[in-house]
Order: sequence, then structure tokens, then C-alpha cells
Amino acid sequence: MSLEFLNAFKFMKKDSFFHNLDPRSKLIFAIIYTISALLFKQIVPLLIIFISLIPLILFGKLFKQWVKSIRGLSFLIIFIVLLNTLFLSLSFAIAMIIRILIMVSAFSLFFLTVDPNDLALSLISMKVPYEFAFSFSLAFRFVPTIAKEAQNILDAQQSRGYEMQKKGLISQIKNLFPLLIPLIVCSIRRAFNVAEALESRAFGSRKERSFYYSIKYSLKDWIFTIYLLFILVLFIVVRINFNIMPEFLTWSFPV
Amino acid sequence: MIKEMGYIYPSGTEALKCINLNIFKGELLGIMGKNGAGKTTLIRTLNGLIRPTSGNIFIENENINKKTIATMSQKIGIVFQNPFHQLFSNSIEDEIKFSLKSLNLSKEEIQIRINKTLHEFNLEKYRKRSPLNLSGGESKKLAIASIICRDPEVLIFDEPTLGQDEKEMEFFINIINREKKKGKTIIIITHNTEFSYNHLPRTILMTDGEIIADGPTKKLFENETLISRTYLIIPQIRRFCLAMQKLGLQNADKLTSNDSVVKYLKNYMQNKLLT
Repeated sequence: MSLEFLNAFKFMKKDSFFHNLDPRSKLIFAIIYTISALLFKQIVPLLIIFISLIPLILFGKLFKQWVKSIRGLSFLIIFIVLLNTLFLSLSFAIAMIIRILIMVSAFSLFFLTVDPNDLALSLISMKVPYEFAFSFSLAFRFVPTIAKEAQNILDAQQSRGYEMQKKGLISQIKNLFPLLIPLIVCSIRRAFNVAEALESRAFGSRKERSFYYSIKYSLKDWIFTIYLLFILVLFIVVRINFNIMPEFLTWSFPV
Repeated sequence: MIKEMGYIYPSGTEALKCINLNIFKGELLGIMGKNGAGKTTLIRTLNGLIRPTSGNIFIENENINKKTIATMSQKIGIVFQNPFHQLFSNSIEDEIKFSLKSLNLSKEEIQIRINKTLHEFNLEKYRKRSPLNLSGGESKKLAIASIICRDPEVLIFDEPTLGQDEKEMEFFINIINREKKKGKTIIIITHNTEFSYNHLPRTILMTDGEIIADGPTKKLFENETLISRTYLIIPQIRRFCLAMQKLGLQNADKLTSNDSVVKYLKNYMQNKLLT
């Protein structure tokens, strides 16, 4: 088993339309797509939202990484299909999968294209206190580190006979302890080390501080934000008036 | 035997390039090289944690490329660099027990092995203590114990001397010697040139995913150009002998151990006093 898919959430410097946007507009993008996905529970409208994401993935030159992040969800997808088909319906199961795909894709695009340093700057410009903004960007930066650590833990446990696949739900949950406990312990240890390292460099000693880089909300960010707000309003209108919308929007599987 | 093995990471990085290597049963082998040379990637291929993208690995004439990690970890035990990556149980005793459970042993046999391992590693007094409260050296000792208790034929250590004090290092060397006497094949990745010079009979040097040298450790350290390519430093004893040679002490560069240096200097002083 490989945890390589977690790399699909790691920032990669590229030159594309999506990469060059301000982090704030990308954050608005992720939030609006998540809200839009939560508005519907029918296959067709969710599919439309999902399809509207694809050009952004292609323009962002992120197709390969996006496929990896989706592939990593295969276990969850099977679980959702089985559970929902068993207790509800196949249509609902598929709708829920598309909903998750939208949310994961939106945040995957955000993480892949936002430099952690820019993220802290954008949060500060949104009047978030520096300590919180820095902590958030630090947590964000540690995602690939934790992914690598999780892989190392898995390797270490497998080297002494640990097997990931075991039958039965309880066995599978119990089977996660050898991975989760070292991961949590190592993360806490690292958090303490980072905190000490920061304090030894006088972190937070002065209220005012200088910034080497600055970010700017440019015209293309405004255009992109207006486009996002437009589609959010459109989806809300469709949701409110769903009963009078064309019938194909409510299409579902006969079973 | 590793034959023309290569490994390319999914990101496209070529970590191993056409590796050819023979490791003999009961051998003590060192792997050295600069950071990012492919040492850890090489050992990860040996028990199937990653599959070579080209070439083959044979253990006792059997191709292991299709063997599962679970099967391979019975034969090959790897002790990774960070002990905290594997410690999770409530007590040290349970930590050892976890390693033994997958071997399908009887309860009595498991208990016998736990007691034996705790005794051999001087961990008896900590038996009920949480492994998460151990010091760096003790946790490393426990990580080693939890692999050795499985009695694998091949033992692989990734940077075992890192962060160890002299006493812990001595303890580790004793373990290595004891396991070697039992006929185990031992592979050690290390940057510690003092350790490798004094304790490893054979070493391979790696750079950029390739093996650039393979031979007796002491012989390899005679080649300064080769050593500088791997960003290693010449061991103290070798530097001291070279300095003596430069000062005109004949054949001093042939000395390889502390004892031989002491003997040489003793003879030299006696001769000097006589003349």
C-alpha cells in the first residue's frame, strides 16, 4: 500500500492561469464549490458542477495530480457506494460520490496551487492575526511531511509483519492503531520542536512586523471572483426553484 | 543477488540505476554514501516495500519481485532510522509481542521469546513501561529488539549509530557481533566512517543511485578521491597514520587499527631512545 496519493495535495510551482491567481480568490473558489456541492443531492446538477471544474483543472496543468488525489479516494468511494446502495439507493450513492469528488477536487486545486507563504500573507491581509495565519500556513506546509512520515511508519510496521488488509470492520479499525499512534506521537513531538525553534527565534516578540513579499488582488482575480459569485447565485436560484426546473435535472437511476 | 535493478519514483526521480550486487550469507556489509544517494531506497526494495521498476532481486536463487511484504519480512527485518515510527503499544513487552504475533507462534513460544529479548537487550526493568517514554537511545534499542526477536535471516539497519552515545554504540556493536556469530546476514547503512572503518569488513559506496565502489572497507578508505565523491570523511585513525607518514614515519600509512598504531609508536619510541 502506498500513501503516494497524499502528494496530490502538495504545492507545485507552475506557470498557469490558476497558479497565477491570488490565494484569496482560490480560497473563495474552493469554498464556493464546496457550498455548491452541498446545495444538491441529485446526480445531474452535481454532475454539472463537477464538469464545470474540469476546464480549471486542465488550464491549471494539474490533470495528473488531480487523478492521483481522486485515485486515493477509491477505498472511500467503494465504502460510500456499498453503504448508501444498501441502506438508501444507488442514485443517492452516486450523487454523494460526485459531491465528494467536487469538494476534494476544489481543495486539491487549492492546495496544489497555493504557496504556503502566500497563504499566510493572504490571511494577514484578511485581518487574521499573524500568529493564527502563520500557524495555519505551517500546518498546510506540513501536509506532505506528514504524508511522508505516514509512509515511513507503514514501512517500519510492515517490516515487522504488520498487514494492512484484515477482514472485519473491528479488526480493520484496530489495525489502524500501529499507524495512527506513531503518526500522532511524531506529529506532537514535531509540533513541540517547531514551537521551541520559533520561540528561540523570538517569534511574537513584537506586535508589528515587516514582510518581504506582498500580494495583490489583480483584475483577473476580480473577474474570477465575480464569475464564482455568479455561479454561486445561479446554483442557489436553481436550488430554490428546483421544483420548476426542467425534469432532466431530477433524473435518477430506476433502482 | 541484485541484478541490473533500477527504481524510478512515481514523481519521475531515478533513485536507483542498474544496481548489480552480490550479498553473501552470513556477511556483514556496510552501505555508505551522501544523502539522497539511494541507500534507503535500495534496502526498501529488499523486502518488497517498493518494487524495482527494472531488474530483479534473487534470494537463494528465488526471484522475490512478486513476493509479498509479509512473506519477505519473515526473512528480512529492517530497523528504520526513527524508532518512534514503529512504537505504539502500551508497554515494551507488548511492543515485542506485536512483532511476534504475525509469526503464528504458540503463546508459550511468544512468552519465551519476549523474556529472552528483554533480557538480551537489558530492557527487563522497563517491561511494563510505555515505549513512548523511553529516551532516544533506549527507544532505538527497543526498535532493534522488536526486529531481532522475529529471528529473520537478514538484518538491515538504517543509520543505527545516529544519536547513540558511546555506551549505546558499544552495546549495538555487541549485538551485531552476536547476530553475526549466529550466521545472520547483516546490512548496515551508515554515515559514521569511524564505525564502518573499525567494524564493517565490506562496504559499498553509493552516489546518485549508483554503486561507485564495492570492496573491503579499509581498502576503500585508502582512495581519497573516491571518498570525497561520497561526501564522507576519512576516519581519524587513517588521517593520523597519513599525518605520521608525512612526518617521515615509514609505513605508517599501512596501519589500520588503534592497536597497530600503539604498537608501531611504542616500537618507534623504543628505537628512538636506543639511538
